[in-house]
Amino acid sequence: MAGDCPSDLPLPRPLRLISRLAAGLLATGLLLQGCQLQRRSDRLVVATSARVGSVDPVRASTFGATQLLSALGDPLYRLGPDGQLEPALATALPLVSSDGLTVRVPLRQGVRFHDGTPFDAAAMVFSLERFLAIGTLSYLLDDRIASVRASGSHELELGLKRPTTVLPELLSTINLTPVSPTAYRLNADKALPDRFVGTGPYRLTAFSDQQQRLEPFADYWGPRPRNRGIDLISLGNSTALYGAMRSGEVDVLLSTGLHEDHQQALAQRAERGDLRQGQGPALEIGYITLHTDQPPFNNPTLRQALAHSLDRERISERVSQGLRPALRNLVPPAVGASNQELWPAYAPARARQLFREAGYCHGRRLELPLTFRSNIPSDRLMVLTWQAQLARDLDDCIVLQPNGMESTTVYRQLGEGAFAAVMLDWRGAVTDPEAYLFPLLSCSQAEGSRCLKGESALSGSFWTEPGLQQQLVRSEGLAGDERRQLLAAIERRTARAAPYLPLWLVSPRAWAQPALATPRFDGNGRLLLQELERQP
Amino acid sequence: MSRRRALARYLAARLALVPVMLWLIASLVFLLLRVAPGDPVDAVLGTRAPEAARAALRSQLGLDRSLLEQYGQFLGNLLRGDLGESLNSQEPVARIIGQSLPASLELGITALLLAALVGLAVGFSGIARPEGKIDLAGRLYGVGTYALPPFWAAMLVQLVFAVWLGWLPVGGRFPPTLVPPSGSGFYLLDSLRQGLLGGDWQTLAGTLRHLTLPAGTLALLLSGIFTNALRLNLRRALGSDYVEAARSRGIGERQVVLRHALPNALLPVLTITGITVASLIGGALLIEVTFSWPGIAFRLQEAIAQRDYPLVQGIVVVVAALVVLVTVTVDLLVALLDPRVRF
Repeated sequence: MAGDCPSDLPLPRPLRLISRLAAGLLATGLLLQGCQLQRRSDRLVVATSARVGSVDPVRASTFGATQLLSALGDPLYRLGPDGQLEPALATALPLVSSDGLTVRVPLRQGVRFHDGTPFDAAAMVFSLERFLAIGTLSYLLDDRIASVRASGSHELELGLKRPTTVLPELLSTINLTPVSPTAYRLNADKALPDRFVGTGPYRLTAFSDQQQRLEPFADYWGPRPRNRGIDLISLGNSTALYGAMRSGEVDVLLSTGLHEDHQQALAQRAERGDLRQGQGPALEIGYITLHTDQPPFNNPTLRQALAHSLDRERISERVSQGLRPALRNLVPPAVGASNQELWPAYAPARARQLFREAGYCHGRRLELPLTFRSNIPSDRLMVLTWQAQLARDLDDCIVLQPNGMESTTVYRQLGEGAFAAVMLDWRGAVTDPEAYLFPLLSCSQAEGSRCLKGESALSGSFWTEPGLQQQLVRSEGLAGDERRQLLAAIERRTARAAPYLPLWLVSPRAWAQPALATPRFDGNGRLLLQELERQP
Repeated sequence: MSRRRALARYLAARLALVPVMLWLIASLVFLLLRVAPGDPVDAVLGTRAPEAARAALRSQLGLDRSLLEQYGQFLGNLLRGDLGESLNSQEPVARIIGQSLPASLELGITALLLAALVGLAVGFSGIARPEGKIDLAGRLYGVGTYALPPFWAAMLVQLVFAVWLGWLPVGGRFPPTLVPPSGSGFYLLDSLRQGLLGGDWQTLAGTLRHLTLPAGTLALLLSGIFTNALRLNLRRALGSDYVEAARSRGIGERQVVLRHALPNALLPVLTITGITVASLIGGALLIEVTFSWPGIAFRLQEAIAQRDYPLVQGIVVVVAALVVLVTVTVDLLVALLDPRVRF
C-alpha cells in the first residue's frame, strides 16, 4: 500500500526540489526585474482601449482608427481646439457658386505625401472618388456630392446634388484625408488595412491592431511634432489601462473604454497634481429613447411626466462624480445648441401631477421596463441610480424595471420597436446641430405623428410631427441666423413632445504623466498627438 | 491482428473522422452565428446609417443572399482552404489567424510547460510521507489552483505584480518602444535568435517580461490538474502488485519509485495533458483579455462581439482542427508508450 511507504525513503528530497524551483523562479524574476528596459525618453507611449482594425480612411470608423488617422493625415479643413473651422490642406473656405451647387476648394501647394510624391488636386480627386466608391461611411457624402474633379493643378471642384451648409464641416472629416495615388494604385478599389501613405505630421512605420508606431514626417508642411515619435498601444480592459498609467508604463492615457471609477480616480490624482488632465469638447450625448408609437408612451403627458422625474444632476454626480455633466437638449452646447435648458427640469411635484393626469398614482403604478446595454458600465449605474431615485420620489406612481441586454442585440432590435424605453448614446458625424437632429428626428414616411420609415423609426422612438421633416430639409439649404432660428424651433418642438430624454454629455479626457505638458484635443475630440511633449 | 496494424487502423479511423467533425463544427458555428441577434453591418456602419447604405454593404458582404447560398459558398471556400475575408477589416482571415495563432501557441506552450513542471513537482513532493504536511499542502495546492476563477486570478496577479509592485508590464506582448522581432511570429524564438545572431538581448528580455505574467498565471491555474493527477496515480501505482513484487525482489525504494511506479503514473498524466490543451482555449481567453495578449482567443471574442462571421468561423475551424490534432497525437503517444492499450 502507498500508505506503507517507509518514512526514511532515500528519495530526492521533495522539499529541496521545491526550494530549488522556488529559488530558480525568484532568480528569474529578479533577473527580469533587473532587465527592466530603460524607457527611452524621446518617444511617448499613448494608451487607449481602442483597437484599430484598419488604418485605411475608407474603412476607419472607430474612435481608435480616426484618432490614429488624425495624426497621419490632414483633412481639407480642421476644427481647432476652440472649435473654429480652419483650412488645413485647403487654403481658404470653399467658394460656393450662386446656385449653391458648385463648390471650389483652393488647395495648398508644396505639400508632399509620406512617399515623397506631391499632393495636388488630382490626388485629392483620387482620394475622394476612392472614398465615395468603397468607403463604409460614404453615405455621409453620397446624397450631397454629385461629382468631383480637378479644376486646376491645386483646385478642387465639387458638384453638389443640393445646396449644403455643412459642407466645410463634412470636408473636415478625417476619412476624407488624401492618400498617395502612387502608393494606393493597386488598392484603388479595395482597402489597404495595415499601411497608410498620407500627408500628416507622422508616418506610420509599424502597424498591428494593438500597436502602432508613429515617426515624425521630416517633410511635413506644417509645424513639426513636439516629440520624437509616438507608440499607440491598446490594452484590453479598463483595469489594465488604469494600472499601466499608475505604474508609469504609459505616458498618456485616453479615457475611451475606461470605467467611471477609474476615470474618477485619475481625475482625483490630477487634482492632487500627480497627473495632468486634458479635456476635449463634449460631443457625445447620453439619452433615453421612448417608444412613442405604443402605449404607454404614445401619451405625451406621460412622456412629460417622465421628463420631469429625471434628476439629471443627482444621477450625474452619483454615476460619474460630475464627469458627465447633465444635459437638457439633444444638441450639445459645443455644437451650437440654441438653449442648454430646453427639456423639462427635474420637478417631482410636477411629475406627480402629470402622472396623475395620465391616470397613475391612484393605486396604479406605471411599470416601466428600461433597457440598457449591459456591456456598458455607466448605463447600468445610471439605470440603477434612476431606479432608486424614482423609488424615493414617486414610489406610488412609477416603478422602473431595469433590463440589461448586450449592445449588439439592442441595436439590432431598436428599429423593430422592441423597447418601451432604452438608454443609448450618440455622437454626430460632424460638429453641427444637423448631425444630432437628423439622425434622431428625420422621417421619410409618416402617418400623423407616427414615423413609419426613416431615422426616427430606426432610433426606436417612431416620433414625428406634421411639418417637422420639411423643416429639417429646409434647414439644410439655409445659413446664418435664419438656419439657427429654424433649428432652434425644431429643438423646441422636440422638447415639448419629449420622444427622447437627453441625459448627459460625455467629453473625451486624457491624462499625462506629470513630466509631460497637459494634453489638448482638437474640435473633433481627438487628442493632438503632435503637441504632446516632455517638459524641460 | 498485430498491435501495429490495430494501431494503424485506429489512427486511420480517427483521421477519417476529422473532416466529419470539422464539418459538423463549422456548420454549427455558421448556423449559431446567423441565429444569434446582432448584425455585422451595425459593427461596420454603426446603427444610424441609412437603409440604402446598409443594404449596399449587406450586398457587398454577400449577406443579402439566402442562408443556403451563404452556407454553400462557405463550405466550398473551406474545401479550397479559403477562409474568406474579415467583414470588418477586409483582411484575409488566414492572415489574421496566422498573426494571432503564434501568440496563443507561445502563451499556451509556455504555460503548459511551466504548469507541468510546477504541478508535477508539487504532486511528487508529498509522496515520501503520504498524508503528511507536505502531501496535505500539495493537495490543497492542487484543489486550490484548479478552483481559482481564471479572471479573478489574472486580475489579482496583474494588480500585485504590475500595478502595485511595478515589476512586470500590465499587458501586451512586447514593449511598445521596441521593434518586435520578425520571423516565425513566436517572439520567444525570434528574439532568442536575434540575441544569438546579433547580440540584441534587450528584445529577449522584453519578450520574457511580457510573457511572464500571462504565462505564469495560466500555468498556476493549470498546474493543479497535474498535481492531482500525478499524486493520485503515483499513490495507486505504489500500491500495485508489480511495485510490491519489485520491493520483494530487494530493489531499493528510490528505484521502485523512479523506475517502476513513476512511468506508469505518468501515462494518465499524458492523457490529461491532451485534454488540458483543449480546455486551454477557454482558459486562455480570459487570460488573453486580461493581459491584452493578442492571441487567437482574444481575436475570437472580438470577432463574436462584432459579428464578424468569416473570422469567427475561420478561428473556430482552425482551433477545432488543432484540438483534434493534439488529441489524436496524445492517443498515439499513449498507445506507443503503453503496451497494455488495446484498440
